[in-house]
Amino acid sequence: MANYEVKAEVSGSVWKIVTEVGQALEAGDTLMIIESMKMEIPVIVEQGGTVQRFLVDESAAVNEGQAVAVLST
Amino acid sequence: MSGKTTPDETAPDDWSPEVEELRLRQRDAHGLGGAEAVARHHERGRLTIRERVEHLVDKGSFREVGTLTGQGKYDGPTLKSVTPAPYVMGLASIDGRPVAVGGEDFTIRGGSSWSGDRKKGGQGGFIEDMAASYRIPLVNLIDGSGGSVTSINKRGHSIFPGVHGFERSVELLGKVPVVSAVLGTAAGGPAGRAILSHWSVMVDGTSHVFAAGPPVVERSLGQKISKEDLGGPPIAVDHAGTIDNRVDSEDTCFAQIRRFLSYMPSNVWELPPESNSSDPADRCDEELLRIVPRDRRKPYNMRKLIGHIVDRDSIFEIQPTYGKALITVLARMNGKVVGVVANNPMVYGGAMDVKAARKQIHFVEMCDCFHIPLVFLVDVPGFMVGKDAEAAATLRDGMRAVYVGLQATVPTYTVVIRKCYGMAGMGTTEKNGLELKIAWPSAEWGSLPIEGGVAAAFRREIAAAADARQRERELEEELRALASPFRTAEAFGVEEIIDPRETRPYLCRFIDAAQGKLRTTVGPKAKYGVRP
Repeated sequence: MANYEVKAEVSGSVWKIVTEVGQALEAGDTLMIIESMKMEIPVIVEQGGTVQRFLVDESAAVNEGQAVAVLST
Repeated sequence: MSGKTTPDETAPDDWSPEVEELRLRQRDAHGLGGAEAVARHHERGRLTIRERVEHLVDKGSFREVGTLTGQGKYDGPTLKSVTPAPYVMGLASIDGRPVAVGGEDFTIRGGSSWSGDRKKGGQGGFIEDMAASYRIPLVNLIDGSGGSVTSINKRGHSIFPGVHGFERSVELLGKVPVVSAVLGTAAGGPAGRAILSHWSVMVDGTSHVFAAGPPVVERSLGQKISKEDLGGPPIAVDHAGTIDNRVDSEDTCFAQIRRFLSYMPSNVWELPPESNSSDPADRCDEELLRIVPRDRRKPYNMRKLIGHIVDRDSIFEIQPTYGKALITVLARMNGKVVGVVANNPMVYGGAMDVKAARKQIHFVEMCDCFHIPLVFLVDVPGFMVGKDAEAAATLRDGMRAVYVGLQATVPTYTVVIRKCYGMAGMGTTEKNGLELKIAWPSAEWGSLPIEGGVAAAFRREIAAAADARQRERELEEELRALASPFRTAEAFGVEEIIDPRETRPYLCRFIDAAQGKLRTTVGPKAKYGVRP
């Protein structure tokens, strides 16, 4: 099992976490939604895996490139 | 004694001995830096320069120039061997069209510079002269670190910067397509030439590019850093945009070079090659009717949208991993090459940040230079805002993008998909031509988006209201009703509003019609003024 971090592509605030710890995701699935520039920008996972933990809470501010969750393959 | 001379029985009656020497010299040239050096090079996962040329160009098309250059070793008058000059170059064909191609031979002194009577490659070398003189594309296969301080020993003096300068490299950028592939570690002059190109590419795991490598960095700044962290693709391509694209292997690199050149004319006096498209120009994809969500806060996949509009399988994306708020692709429409500039709502809602601005500047200039019509698919809320954006000089680079867009003279088609706001929106129209702006029913525009604008313009009224948030919403709704694109179309402030499904046939028709203008305006583009 290998862990990897999912990073936010944009700065903004976490609007909604739409997945749960333990949930299996496929490449292209939305992990959470960040509000940025008045838009709901999905954080999309590029490779599938299981959500191990979130590194941010809803409404937290995030920076571009910041790790927001850990997934395992 | 008669006047007749007796033939020397041992003397040859033809030039075979010299041809034999020629073969010996050619054999040494093909041996590169020797079997051991070549094996080490292969172990590092890299091809030799001769293999690179062979993999890149049309089979059997390479005609080498300067094969015999190098350092001969003699036993008295007899040649023993030749150490070749560490640069291989010549004339070749890609897809049947001539190209000038050359690159450093890393197996000989790491591809460092060589001092003959005339330079083969590098700044001002024969290969650049050939590209300029014959007006054919230049492909630089870069695998060298340029000069070395040891040259001072050889010459007895140091060289003034620019004696072997970039003037020819700069001239080429306005005349013929120049492609640079970084296929090893490039520093100094070769790194500079990688940048002086219309399109550049590097290979994951084996290539690095920087002004100076780790030893110089450690000596200058005390920083210990690996080559990968200093100038590997994650830094040079994804983060900095120093190099345009990254690929996973040298073979993919050569395939991409061939692909890039397939969109380019051989020079600025010609138009890009037209292909026979099997994709009907009147194709109307249903998906376009629903691709933009009615909820303005929800983004959509702009890459998919582009795919519905251009010829099938014709997309080649430039800088896909840098400046992701903007998408720049070369593509074809009804067989004609176009450059598509599209805002990406998935990243900062498509706002133009400093990276997107730089990306747009280079792409628009390149398309303008090679007479490639531009299609702007606009969904831009404006320049990126915030402290980080201001600190990065988004305003300055953003205005440079606007400036370059307003100087372009190539036919340009503006298709407003959703938002077109502010100064960033101004750089998407053809001010030197027809200024044809078409819009989808989902389009909206103005000097700034209503949401932010209402809060600023009606600040006191909102603050004085019993329910400030409610009053702000009411004001937004009132203004939004007036902001319908149909009202602007009534005033001919936008030339047409179209069913999104009809975007492809509409554009194909106008791009076909612009070929006459394109044919009669070829040649170098004049540059004037001072970029802000």
